[in-house]
Amino acid sequence: MTVASLVSKVRSGERLRPAEGLDLYRHASTHLLGRLADEIRARKHPDRVVTYIIDRNVNYTNVCVARCSFCAFYRPVGSAEGYVLGFEDIFRKIDETRALGGEQLLLQGGHNPDLPLEWYEDLFRSVKARFPAFRLHALSPPEVIHLSRLSRLPVPSVIDRLIEAGLDSIPGGGAEILVDRVRKLLNCYSKATTDEWLEVMRYAHRAGLRTTATMMYGSIERPEDRIEHLMRLRALQDETGGFTAFITWSYQPEHTELGLTEGTGVEYLRTLAIARIMLDNFQNLQASWVTQGGKVGQLSLSFGANDMGSVMIEENVVRAAGASYCMDEIEIVRNIENAGFRPKRRNMHYEILGDPVFRERAVPRILTLAVARQEQDQPVPAELAHYQARSRRAKTQRND
Amino acid sequence: MNIRTGDSGPGMITDLTGRLATGEPLSDRERRTLATATDILALGMAADEVRRQRHGSVTTFVRVANVTIEAAGTAPPRAAGEIRLTGEPASRDQLLAAVRTARRAAGDRPVTGCSLPDLETLAAREGVSLSSLLVDLRDAGLELIARAPIDRLSDAFVDVIRAAGLPVARLTLEEDPGERRLDVLQRVARLDNTAGTIKAFAPLPQRVDPAVPTTGYDDVKMVALARLVVENIGVIQVDWGLYGPKLAQVALTFGADDLDNVSPLEPLDLGARRAPLEEIRRNIRAASMEPVERNGRFEVMAR
Ligand code: SF4
Repeated sequence: MTVASLVSKVRSGERLRPAEGLDLYRHASTHLLGRLADEIRARKHPDRVVTYIIDRNVNYTNVCVARCSFCAFYRPVGSAEGYVLGFEDIFRKIDETRALGGEQLLLQGGHNPDLPLEWYEDLFRSVKARFPAFRLHALSPPEVIHLSRLSRLPVPSVIDRLIEAGLDSIPGGGAEILVDRVRKLLNCYSKATTDEWLEVMRYAHRAGLRTTATMMYGSIERPEDRIEHLMRLRALQDETGGFTAFITWSYQPEHTELGLTEGTGVEYLRTLAIARIMLDNFQNLQASWVTQGGKVGQLSLSFGANDMGSVMIEENVVRAAGASYCMDEIEIVRNIENAGFRPKRRNMHYEILGDPVFRERAVPRILTLAVARQEQDQPVPAELAHYQARSRRAKTQRND
Repeated sequence: MNIRTGDSGPGMITDLTGRLATGEPLSDRERRTLATATDILALGMAADEVRRQRHGSVTTFVRVANVTIEAAGTAPPRAAGEIRLTGEPASRDQLLAAVRTARRAAGDRPVTGCSLPDLETLAAREGVSLSSLLVDLRDAGLELIARAPIDRLSDAFVDVIRAAGLPVARLTLEEDPGERRLDVLQRVARLDNTAGTIKAFAPLPQRVDPAVPTTGYDDVKMVALARLVVENIGVIQVDWGLYGPKLAQVALTFGADDLDNVSPLEPLDLGARRAPLEEIRRNIRAASMEPVERNGRFEVMAR
């Protein structure tokens, strides 16, 4: 099919097949891809509202046994730079988040063999006991699978127990590229195969949770792998309707074992646009200004995105790989309005919560990102002694 | 609320950009509509078309050794295609000596430097005419004035540099003109550049308030409008070092055709694929353009 006929197909609202999507991705000009994506965004969001959320990205541990080759964040078991956040640290972060008008924690971390399922359950319960209305958007599918392996319980049981303890929704991290050949090359096949990742989401949706979906592109995969990834998400969304949003970002190569280079700004905008075109059953697409910077992040709003993601209070994973961009609520709102849209605060379900908080009351400005922990913090909090460890080193420490 | 809703749909923007490209005058209201347009795709498509008519897919870039006036004798990196003297000169003698020293260190590569308003100030301080200072600098070996910020100069500067035989490498904007952007661009378009004494126009501001930086929309809109309005200067440039790879690369699809201020260093620890030369070529190709290295004289060095 010619690009012109693919364009008319998209404009008439017909669904593109994978090969057609690949043709469009490869051959359409950047502006044309943007125009098509923007038209779909306008059809789905005719009110010119662009949303954002105030939450905090907390990485509860950086100790991880998965060792993905694209990851600059993890530290192996026993590393002097490994850490686990204490419950009190997390409560303090929640207090700070609430002061800024935030109502949710995005909680993700490494696959730490010394944190059993009970630790997560106790953490969630104690958060809910202290902050009953606060939401926990926590544990990406590979973390759930890790807990399932660690506890020797099936995934559904783990999810049920986490829901019981207070889990509200699941972030779509760890998807990388949902093609097993690529996952093997990135050393992330063993943490979750494509089917396993999708199966966690399928069960979570059936259990009534809403989740997001992501794609990390720009490492060693081919354009056809990106399209296949989008197709796998589209198929599951047809089945369950449980994804609230899709977020794509470029692989960040600094300090990783894999190395290579980062995808360019134009590649990001093209990839975002093709995702908007192919994911015709996704309502929301986020701009990844965390990896692209505020300027290209804002331009995303013309390339299919209708959401500016999260006001970033803390970020550790992308920063470990070289990128460090910061936007507080004032800056996000300024960018949304400058692009001709109306800013609205939302929750994880994309329900509108209201206008910007800073227009209702004074909130502190955030000009630099917080980090997971301060130099003086204890790397291993005292309460860990109450939980069963798996690694020999942690077992010895906890028995001392 | 400060929402910009100047657009009246893609059709309107396309119509206005078309009229602008043919030199048809626009009403105040239409000019405001364009200056505040948020349909950046319509602007970008129009600008890209004009850019391709003029330059095809060629995107030039220059690797620049920025050398302070005080350190003019420093041997510039081998890969630099331009030696640019930076900083404010303390005196005429100091500047002339620095140009001569840099000239010797540069070999056959061009030495550029200074900002035209700084030279105006220097000439006034030393009680000489700007023209005579420019002639002296030219004779000492300066080939181009590095920049002439249009928002700090009167239009008469064009006659002065032409008479002195010392061209300007880039016309720049010191501050973001905001909604006056079309007025500024039309002023640039009216400058008499028939002799080609202004080599390039860099429409993005050199100084930005860090608390309220220009946005991505502001930047690509400015680049696109510059391409559509400024016909008398063929090279529309973005500063790679100042604006960074992501925005600078995207600007190439909004009408820019030249990237200034690429690092001449080839840090060994980055590895060949991440060295500045490879990075810039990769970025230009990823924007579906052909990278062509030039020197500070705007001569093609290597394809
Ligand atoms: S990406 Fe996640 S699972 Fe993989 S090594 Fe990093 S922390 Fe571990």
